[in-house]
Amino acid sequence: MRIDTTLAGFSNGLLLAAILLYALAMLCYACDFAFARHRLMAGLTDAEQAGRRSDSALAEAAVPSLVAAGAGGGVPAVPAGPAVPASSAASVHPPAAAAPRRHASRWPAGFWLRLAFGLTCVGVTAHVAAIVTRGLAEHRTPWGNMYEFIAAFTCVAVLVLVAASIWQRAYYLGLFVLVPVVFGLGIDLTVLYTPAGSLVPALQSYWIAIHVTAMLVAIGLFIFGAVTTTLYLTAERSQRRVAAGRPSWSAGILQHLPGAAVLDRLSYRSILFAFPVWTFGVMAGAIWADHAWGRYWGWDPKETWSFITWVVYAMFLHARATAGWRGRRAAYIQLIGFGCLLFNVIGVNLWITGLHSYAGMS
Amino acid sequence: MTSTESAATEATRATTATATDPAETGAAAELLEAEPSVAADQSRAAGLGPIGWLRWGWRQLTSMRTALILLFLLALASVPGSVLPQQGIDPAAVSQYYQSHPALAPFLSRLSLFNVFSAPWFAAIYLLLFASLAGCVLPRTVRLVGSARQQPPRAPTNLARLPASASYVTEVAPARALEQAASFFRGRRFRISQGDGWVSAEKGYLREVGNLLFHIALLALLFSVGLGGIFGYKANRLLIVGQGFADTPTALDVFRPGRLVTPGDLAPFSINLHGFTAKYVTSGPQLDQPLSYDASLTYQATPSAPVRSYQLQVNHPLVVDGVSVYLIGHGYAPIFKVTDGTGKVRWDGPVPFIPVDQTTLTSEGVIKVPDAEPGQLGFAGVFLPSAVDEGGRLESAFPEALNPRVSLVGFTGNLGMNSDQAQSVYQLDTTGLHQLPMQPRPLSAGQSMKLPDGLGTVTYLGYQQWISLAITYDPGQLPALASGIAALAGLILSFMVRRRRMFVRAVAAADGSTQVNIGGLARSDAAGGFENEFDSLTESLRSELAATEVTIADRQQPASVGTAEGSGGSSPRASTAEGSGGSFPRASTAGRSGESSKASTDGE
Ligand code: HEM
Repeated sequence: MRIDTTLAGFSNGLLLAAILLYALAMLCYACDFAFARHRLMAGLTDAEQAGRRSDSALAEAAVPSLVAAGAGGGVPAVPAGPAVPASSAASVHPPAAAAPRRHASRWPAGFWLRLAFGLTCVGVTAHVAAIVTRGLAEHRTPWGNMYEFIAAFTCVAVLVLVAASIWQRAYYLGLFVLVPVVFGLGIDLTVLYTPAGSLVPALQSYWIAIHVTAMLVAIGLFIFGAVTTTLYLTAERSQRRVAAGRPSWSAGILQHLPGAAVLDRLSYRSILFAFPVWTFGVMAGAIWADHAWGRYWGWDPKETWSFITWVVYAMFLHARATAGWRGRRAAYIQLIGFGCLLFNVIGVNLWITGLHSYAGMS
Repeated sequence: MTSTESAATEATRATTATATDPAETGAAAELLEAEPSVAADQSRAAGLGPIGWLRWGWRQLTSMRTALILLFLLALASVPGSVLPQQGIDPAAVSQYYQSHPALAPFLSRLSLFNVFSAPWFAAIYLLLFASLAGCVLPRTVRLVGSARQQPPRAPTNLARLPASASYVTEVAPARALEQAASFFRGRRFRISQGDGWVSAEKGYLREVGNLLFHIALLALLFSVGLGGIFGYKANRLLIVGQGFADTPTALDVFRPGRLVTPGDLAPFSINLHGFTAKYVTSGPQLDQPLSYDASLTYQATPSAPVRSYQLQVNHPLVVDGVSVYLIGHGYAPIFKVTDGTGKVRWDGPVPFIPVDQTTLTSEGVIKVPDAEPGQLGFAGVFLPSAVDEGGRLESAFPEALNPRVSLVGFTGNLGMNSDQAQSVYQLDTTGLHQLPMQPRPLSAGQSMKLPDGLGTVTYLGYQQWISLAITYDPGQLPALASGIAALAGLILSFMVRRRRMFVRAVAAADGSTQVNIGGLARSDAAGGFENEFDSLTESLRSELAATEVTIADRQQPASVGTAEGSGGSSPRASTAEGSGGSFPRASTAGRSGESSKASTDGE
């Protein structure tokens, strides 16, 4: 079928528009940090921000302060472990702190934040439209080469951001997620740009819609996880320094973010979504490889690095369940996993040849 | 709270759990699935000799930390397999590596670095990992089966201390309220245990089931892969249009049988190739890119079976008798006629040339004519499907054969074919040969070239196409697929299901009404949402009991009444959630208390 070059040009324009809108949104998110005086998160402990959340990580955070609270209720004081300095504040009782949070609006508060979020939403709409029009122009699934693939998974990352903003009220993440997205899209549109075209026979299969879609959805989620984990590490470090009475350069911006435990939990959750999707994607890839090449696993470089990525993220999940490893060390493992993922997406495409050399970069 | 603190708290808790009086730990201990700490094992190992050491080693192997390390080693060990060329994937690249790194290559080869995925050290890592996996998972499975009838623990005395809690006042009498609460949770498929003044309910054992299913499925996956390696086979065959072959070891170019495969096990099918078409993009930026490959075959499942036809395409393999046949490559086979000096035709037929440039399908190949007289003849040729003149040089401009040309260089001498060493049909060993002094001239179909010194003539007659087929039989495939699906299902199950406990205590208040306290706790709430579930459960229960909610301030009081009443002057420490089973054990991971106690030193 013929490629519709007009429509393809339109798609390029939409992608450029998306980048510009994201860049503007970033600016507004930054203005929100700089100018907005509302909802500073400083002074709240993680336990309070987490409300009555009760998964294992937060139960740990919550229980000692509850013990301290109980101490106020007439029970002889038990030193509640090395409790956070703010644990006196915790005697307000988490449910009390949680109450306003539960009634808090889903929607962003304040001019700059509203504007930023609005721009993000318009931007992601343009982004989705760019991908859809590209697919229509090419009469195929629009993720068949590296250019299209990057455009698609950055789109997923922004969609995850929007979802997390609404459902987790994680509006504070906007700036941090959009930075790598804008950077990635910028490189994509300039260096990696590939004109619209058809696919080589090996890619002409409905499996592209299954395997590649799963991979890029997982990557979008992994990006989100890596960003939140980086923030977690920053916040955790800053909290330690402040607790030790040392200066923390990041304390200023961290005022606008929730505490380390909330970030950690958010990151963990995104991996919990991403990991099964990635597992499914690798399996679907194996089935496809079996259809196309006659073997389901051949240690092709792309396959090898997907495997490495998978193993490292499995390590992360294990680390989260191993005492002494959760927290900082687990976060580092997650970042290593993300490094492997990036290498697979970029390094393997550009530097290593294998059966998967479809990046369209020759 | 920082991780340091949480680690430290955990350590404190671990010690608390072991230090509390036996009565309190009774319930906790069986839930903690306690395993002796590594430290304890170490001292035992020193005292107990070989058995002790074995036990110690086994505990080390099956510890969570070892699993972590082995996973890390597995990831690390895979890296060279993607960076260095691999014998099993691209043998040509390996020989090239030998040529470009003559000093380094033999050394790397000794370390199996050109064969990473079948290297002994790679096998050692994954076998250890899977031993660790089995050692970790099987006891947990036994324990899970054993706990199928286990009751949830006694409700902690002070429910307000749990991560989620609520209180009501109702007119229903305490005993009746508890009865109602029990049937309320039972109706929601919670497991119930009841005692004097309390009800405990637990749900979500499927989480552990999911986790075990996932890990066991991984073991099954490894076995399935092994099954394919033992009973399956892989083969390649290059087939020129017009030719056919039967699935026997001699007819296959490459035959890699599994360990227990004999030639008699091969499926007795045969295939004939009648035509092949490749389509390419003919304009625009994607010029040269292939659009479709299509091979017309006929095949017979057995020599006596009916002849069927099949259009073989990429992504569309032929399956006969459980064996799959794939189209994995294609190319050109120019047809030559070689007449020697005595006037005898010594070669007449197509010779497959191998593409050296995948975009333009410029291909190279050799013709060997060992019977030629007076001297053996050999030719090295280049085939250009669409020859164009690029500044005096002929090059192929397009992969389709629009203007095919062949240019040949002739050799005579000793082809070296009667030595013992196996020779590639695609390469000319020129050590015993000397090049014929001829002007290389691109031939078009029908043109001949006369060889000097009366050695004969060679004629290029035209071309034929060939395809290469991969033939695989892998009995491990279906089990591998099933294990994969089971692993995924287990994974999703363990991520979605939250294991949670709900506790209810009812006390008669001074004014004759009943104070109902509810507490809740989730051990694993990976996907979140326990808070909401708790709220909706307590809300439903409240309306069932026709109760009114009391405020937090009110709640503080009765809760301490509960403490006094429940555990009658027990130490405050014992009334923490931990001691009375209010907190979940960290599944078997906390059971690996070696790590728990290590946490205090680890968490810097
Ligand atoms: C082939 C190697 C392994 C892989 C790829 C792997 C992967 C995973 C993954 C993805 C999870 C998270 C999913 C879930 O909770 O069900 C997990 C959890 C778990 N794994 Fe493994 N695992 C491996 C080996 C082991 C071994 C050897 C052990 C025992 C030491 C182990 C013990 C556990 C435990 C206890 C959990 C639950 C963690 C929690 O409670 O969150 N795994 N594993």
